[in-house]
Amino acid sequence: MDLIYSDEDRCFRERARTWLSTNVPRGTRPAHGAAAAQFDRDWQRRMYDGGWAGINWPTDYGGLGLSGLQQVIWYEECARAGAPHYINTSYIALMHAGPTVMTRGTEEQKAFHLPRILKGESLWCQGFSEPNAGSDLASLKTRGRVEGDHIVVNGSKMWTTDAKYADYQELLIRTDPTSERHKGLTWLICDMTAPGIDIKPIRTMLMDEHVNLVFYDDVRIPLANVVGEVNQGWSTALSTLSFERGLGFIGDQLELYERVNRAIHLAGKLRLETGKLAIEDDGIAQKLASLKADALAIRAMTLAHITESDRTGQPGPQGSLMKLIVTGTHKALSETVGEMLGWEFLEFDGDRTAHPWTYDYLWSWVFTISGGTSEIQREITADRLLGLPRAR
Amino acid sequence: MFLAPEGDEMEIATAAADFLAEAMPIDRLHSSGSADMSAAMRGHLGEMGWFALAVPEASGGSGLSAVEHALFFREVGRQCGPVDVLAQVLAARLPAPDDVHAALLSGEIGVALAVGDGDRTRVIGGTNAAYALNVTPDRTWFARLADAGETRPALDPATSMRLTDGVLVEPVVKTNGPDVWRFGVLGTAAMLVGIAEAALDLIVEYAKVRETFGRKIGAYQAVRHPCADMALRVEAARCQLWYAAAALKEGRDDVDTHLDAAKHLANQAALANADSNIQLHGGIGVTDEHHAHLMLKHAMLLGKLFGGKRAVLARLLHAKAA
Repeated sequence: MDLIYSDEDRCFRERARTWLSTNVPRGTRPAHGAAAAQFDRDWQRRMYDGGWAGINWPTDYGGLGLSGLQQVIWYEECARAGAPHYINTSYIALMHAGPTVMTRGTEEQKAFHLPRILKGESLWCQGFSEPNAGSDLASLKTRGRVEGDHIVVNGSKMWTTDAKYADYQELLIRTDPTSERHKGLTWLICDMTAPGIDIKPIRTMLMDEHVNLVFYDDVRIPLANVVGEVNQGWSTALSTLSFERGLGFIGDQLELYERVNRAIHLAGKLRLETGKLAIEDDGIAQKLASLKADALAIRAMTLAHITESDRTGQPGPQGSLMKLIVTGTHKALSETVGEMLGWEFLEFDGDRTAHPWTYDYLWSWVFTISGGTSEIQREITADRLLGLPRAR
Repeated sequence: MFLAPEGDEMEIATAAADFLAEAMPIDRLHSSGSADMSAAMRGHLGEMGWFALAVPEASGGSGLSAVEHALFFREVGRQCGPVDVLAQVLAARLPAPDDVHAALLSGEIGVALAVGDGDRTRVIGGTNAAYALNVTPDRTWFARLADAGETRPALDPATSMRLTDGVLVEPVVKTNGPDVWRFGVLGTAAMLVGIAEAALDLIVEYAKVRETFGRKIGAYQAVRHPCADMALRVEAARCQLWYAAAALKEGRDDVDTHLDAAKHLANQAALANADSNIQLHGGIGVTDEHHAHLMLKHAMLLGKLFGGKRAVLARLLHAKAA
């Protein structure tokens, strides 16, 4: 047990810091829309050209072949340098689709998609959830029938983030019409420019349209785009989800500590309705201090899990705990700041930059629901970590 | 960088677990008069070298680090072990006269913890101890116990409690500096993590066998989800404990911040897990014959040692971590 970075890690950090100091884009990222997607593509390309794309991707696939810990160091340095947030339109491509294609795809799929993802040339979106299949993903109904060397897809997908700007989609459909539940599914690469795709934005409580409904009307997808086997898509989908629950939220995990410190700084300036400074209010002071302990624990958990998985070569079963604590702490922090801000917390027009804490508060439900709700994470923990008997 | 026990550390943890399960099993607390270490138990621990684990070799110890200290006390916590074990280990770190130092390592003399309570002093543990230890974040006093004090009824069956005046009038050893306090915080946090883990283990085991309405209770989400929350508290407190232990071993500048965070998280985890463990057991959970209440009562005591909740949070609020 030790906290000592190797010479290699320290050297990596130094190089990352130097590069970031001159390469972080000036000006803020557009909040949403095509301009935001273009900004994200440009930033990804810049990292690629600088030799920083795919830090823990194998070198065979254009990555740097470095450790999970070095990936953590990179995110820490990005946060320090004020680099663009890594959860952006490139997220699904880099964190889901890329690793899935890498571990389950054909040589052709790897050769075509992986370099494009690293260069920022292709953005991806997710097509798993449906209007009637969310937490119970295996009940999905969007169907595909094999016709010659194509699969013809009909149905709908829901909660697809940035569908309008994505070039490809990871699409999970039912290809065996007689199958039930986890059997008879197929994981497909769907070209978002294919005829028959219709995208309808869903307006959310954040007053934005970042998620969409996607309709498929006889959309023809080549059989060559199947990742894994036809009718064996559940197994491929589980790989996809394990990446999300493994390394998916590292950046957020590390940033929480800084955000808690910002809130404590703010508490020294804001007056409450009692006339007291927020920091002098016992209730608020205790919550903020407790959140600081949580943020430190999240960092310790991240380092414990990453260094462990660097040794074993695979993520442990603690990913669900990680998501629970990160999303729970995020929510508690924005609630506490909300108490401090008073009336100002009630000003909101959807502008994330102008009203960051209110935005964060509203976002906290996106966080605790998307990517497997908190309830599903507790179920996974009960099954896989604790080995409790199953009801299902 | 590696944040989990490995190699020799695992061996120490396993050896401690095996030894303590024999020497001070939690079952002992179902017999009356089981509070504190008996002179025989103390001698046994001394003989096996457990008091000397993290004492420098030059002072007759094993020369191991804060990491092994934490691993050992986590196992002590799992058995709701007496707090005098910690008092003894901390006193053994002091520059006491040679004969006293040797008697501390061997367990020949015992040590109670003395903590301020208003104008008076509460003496925790060490029923038959001749000495008491009073530790603050910046100094440590080690003194002969001047009087036996007035025995108070102790909620926690693992620990005796007395109330007295002026117990530390003539300290044998007075040292400045945070060393003893830091090992005290770490040891207390480690014991609390041990309790949080033991409570989780108990309910998970029970949920796999106990049936209601024709099913194992572990199949109900009303039981599964609180168990998952218990697992989360354990994971957070344990990882922060490892971080704090390594920070103390390596003498990092921000060690106190990490120790306070570890103490706070461990305290929260032990209390909440002990609570859930009783509740999810149902009726059997409130019976005297069950271990569940022992964990709660011991956690309530440990939570007040080496920084109570408010003191720890007040320090954390303005603390900085690198």
